[in-house]
Amino acid sequence: MNISTGFKNTLRRGNMKSRDLPIWILGLFIAILWILPFVWMVSTSFKPAKEVMTKEIEWFPRHVVLDNYKKVFEYPVARWAWNSLVVATVSTTLGVLFGAMAGYALARLNFPGKNVFFAVLIASLMIPTEMTIIPMYVGFLKVGLSNSYISLILPTIANVFSVYIFRQFFMGLPVELEDAATIDGASRFGIFWRIAMPLARSPLIAASILLFTLNWNSFLWPLLIIFEDKMKTMPVGIAAFTPVVGTHTQLEGFGIAMAGITLLSLPGLLIFFIFQRFFIEGISRTGIKG
Amino acid sequence: MNTPATLPFWQRTRLRMRKATWNYQRIDWSGYVFILPFFIPFLTFTVVAIIFGSYIAFNDWGIMGAPQFVGLANFKEAFTDEWVVKAFTNILRYGLIIVPGVTVLGLIFAVYVNKRWYFSGFVRAAFYSPNVVSATVIGLVWVWILDTQFGLLNKYLNMIGIPNIPWLTSTQWSLIGVSIASIWWDLGFSFVLFLAALQEIPRELQEAAEIDGASGMQSFWYVSLPILRPTISMIVTLQLIATMRIFSQVYMMTNGGPAGSSDSVIHYIYQTAIVRFRLGYAAAVSLMLFVVILIVTFIQQRLIRESVQ
Repeated sequence: MNISTGFKNTLRRGNMKSRDLPIWILGLFIAILWILPFVWMVSTSFKPAKEVMTKEIEWFPRHVVLDNYKKVFEYPVARWAWNSLVVATVSTTLGVLFGAMAGYALARLNFPGKNVFFAVLIASLMIPTEMTIIPMYVGFLKVGLSNSYISLILPTIANVFSVYIFRQFFMGLPVELEDAATIDGASRFGIFWRIAMPLARSPLIAASILLFTLNWNSFLWPLLIIFEDKMKTMPVGIAAFTPVVGTHTQLEGFGIAMAGITLLSLPGLLIFFIFQRFFIEGISRTGIKG
Repeated sequence: MNTPATLPFWQRTRLRMRKATWNYQRIDWSGYVFILPFFIPFLTFTVVAIIFGSYIAFNDWGIMGAPQFVGLANFKEAFTDEWVVKAFTNILRYGLIIVPGVTVLGLIFAVYVNKRWYFSGFVRAAFYSPNVVSATVIGLVWVWILDTQFGLLNKYLNMIGIPNIPWLTSTQWSLIGVSIASIWWDLGFSFVLFLAALQEIPRELQEAAEIDGASGMQSFWYVSLPILRPTISMIVTLQLIATMRIFSQVYMMTNGGPAGSSDSVIHYIYQTAIVRFRLGYAAAVSLMLFVVILIVTFIQQRLIRESVQ
């Protein structure tokens, strides 16, 4: 079963009649409007400090300079990016692997308690994660694990959506292939690893992309648990570029801030454009809310 | 076949386990091993954390020292704390702006993209793209666009004769300013869910209605919309819960100000715990937020169910 076929169809063009023309143009106009904040962000990031705050609207920089990016790199941005990369990669790998195992067990294996287990998983989605943030904060503090990669990774590795995606997939996968292997005497884990997982390519990609974006963009938890500048993740580190202090806006700050967030949004946007259909597939399958 | 009584205890247990059934089938004991790596962190960071959080809520606890049991004192204090009241009022106001905004716009955009006209691939990507970037990006980009003097939005509004609006720096507008950024960020989510739901509707249904003389609008209203009800209900519920948990935009754009006018509950919890080190009080407010979210979700689902009938 190829779960992405539904979205290939979107690209097939529908019939357009001449009376649809105004609506078609209006839609395109709004879509362009919708991405203008990104254009403005990139445009500002290349402007010299003096040309950021102007009277007129200048969509194209008069002078394209890299000053803002140079200033951004006076901060430990590379270190933050590295931290984010390590944390998001490990979190995603473990989250997907453990999710696949649990999802496989829920779909295929027969053991008492599995229905209760699944019900608890679904019920846990109703609990706002922020409710657990204070106890988690206190817990990590008391155990002495705060301000570390471990504190960033551990709470993310049990991801219910990952379980859900794999459970749905394995429930739709014919069991015959695995039966043959069972007769050949393969172990349960061997069947899962050598037969089921290689077939689960599309949920694997969907879950990986979903979890990676979620982990890369995670904000509140890293903000709480990290105290040291060099241990910050990229979103939290760059958040400090905010040029607004109270109600007072610093005049040059926006150039640097825009350069910072241009760098920060690149990985997410790139992954999105490359894997677009898997992306949208994953979200519409799970109803995830980041 | 009975288990031979002559075998040692562990071998008997093993044989009995191998033959045990559940749901009239052999039990796969390996199932427990499969769920264990997921289950342990899940248990720790959800179930245990919630129990621990409830315990903290009944205590007075700073970063240093031992917790002191204070009973309901934290909750009593919260009910009379004007900042808590303000924060709870604010998240309801956020909900009233962001949830309809995201639902209605998401539906309209999804219907448009589902027409599969030229460039619909681009349009789909455009509407979804803000959803993939982090709160830092959303916050900073909109602080810049909504800047009172030099912001893009006010400059364009000036052109049509509207004077500068202090989007993020006045008590009157700050909540709306943050809501605009939130709608831009969150819309992709409802948009994609609507799109998926629309694609499930057979084209023939709409075409049949149009052959019968229904206009495009009528066929949408009487054919598609009723089918979309469950999706609408789901989106409103999820978006409402998410909006009541609003934090990072507030933190990035206004820090809850001015004078708490854009403050949210989570942002208040954050400040209570991190800036004032009042962990017990913060946990108590989290618990209240949880209860409020449950109540609001319950009422909202009732309302939707009634409007269907």
